[in-house]
Amino acid sequence: MLQEAQAVAVGISGADIALAAKYIAAGLCMGIGAIGPAIGEGMAAAHALDGMARQPEMQGALMRTMVLGQAITESTGIYSLLIAIVLLFVV
Amino acid sequence: MMNAVFEQLAEALTYLGKKQIITLQLGNLSIQFDKAAMIMSWIVIGLLTILALFLRRALRQNIEDNPNRVQAAMDALIDLLQGQLTSSFSSEKLAIEMFPFISTLFLFVLFSNWLGIVPGLSSPTQNLNITMGLALMVFAVSQILAMRAKGMKAYWKGYLEPMPFMLPLNIIGELSKPMSHAFRLFGNVLAGTILITVVMAKFAPIIVPSGLHLIFGLFFGGIQAFVFAILAVAYINVAVES
Repeated sequence: MLQEAQAVAVGISGADIALAAKYIAAGLCMGIGAIGPAIGEGMAAAHALDGMARQPEMQGALMRTMVLGQAITESTGIYSLLIAIVLLFVV
Repeated sequence: MMNAVFEQLAEALTYLGKKQIITLQLGNLSIQFDKAAMIMSWIVIGLLTILALFLRRALRQNIEDNPNRVQAAMDALIDLLQGQLTSSFSSEKLAIEMFPFISTLFLFVLFSNWLGIVPGLSSPTQNLNITMGLALMVFAVSQILAMRAKGMKAYWKGYLEPMPFMLPLNIIGELSKPMSHAFRLFGNVLAGTILITVVMAKFAPIIVPSGLHLIFGLFFGGIQAFVFAILAVAYINVAVES
């Protein structure tokens, strides 16, 4: 049992560990990084919907502001995506 | 001379879609180009130019009181864009002045994003250099307009407000605008492309990718182009106002 484990452990090189760490890091980066923008965009949409239900005639202006706000909220998610891409393909 | 140019162009076209760097040596200076991004942006520029020439010819035919359908449609579109800009900018004069710039940006980004749908072609906006170039252009325009609107002295003094020790923060805040502006467009377009490529290569080579193209290419491409233009308006407006 112990010998088997040792044999497996000998087969793993430092590069393999680095590769595994890279994939785990990219996954964590995207997964955690997506939480914030998701909550923020959901809140923006919810409040815009509230406003639209109250004042349907304001729909155009609300829609524009909502999309703009969501696009700005999204940028933190985009940053984490870029870091994930850098981890996967560049590092 | 001309032959060599055509040969190079033909060679470039065979490498369409692949990452190919060409280096231009000018004395000590070497400039590198990404063939795919360069050719794709030429295609977008060509498309827009042809569209503009075609529409202009349609407009020329009867300039009198009864406009044809194309002219009426264009009138409505220009009215819509101008109304949108006038309500976004603080002054109407600035809106009219900035209208050609903003609408050109919007159309270029829109056509760039939509070009990725065509098989064999790719979006030029999935290259960071191009989005960064556009964002830096917006940055330069906003700074020049701010200098012109406020005067040199007030402009430089604006960096020392509200306190002189805020100077580094103000500079970083100003420089982060073009960065986030460029990264947002680039990241969105690249994410869509990677997702579609992965789905096509690994899960479903037919039918599903067309739906994804519909969402990521047409819908998100349109939204991102709109957001890019609106953010350009916001950055210019903030720079001129504050």
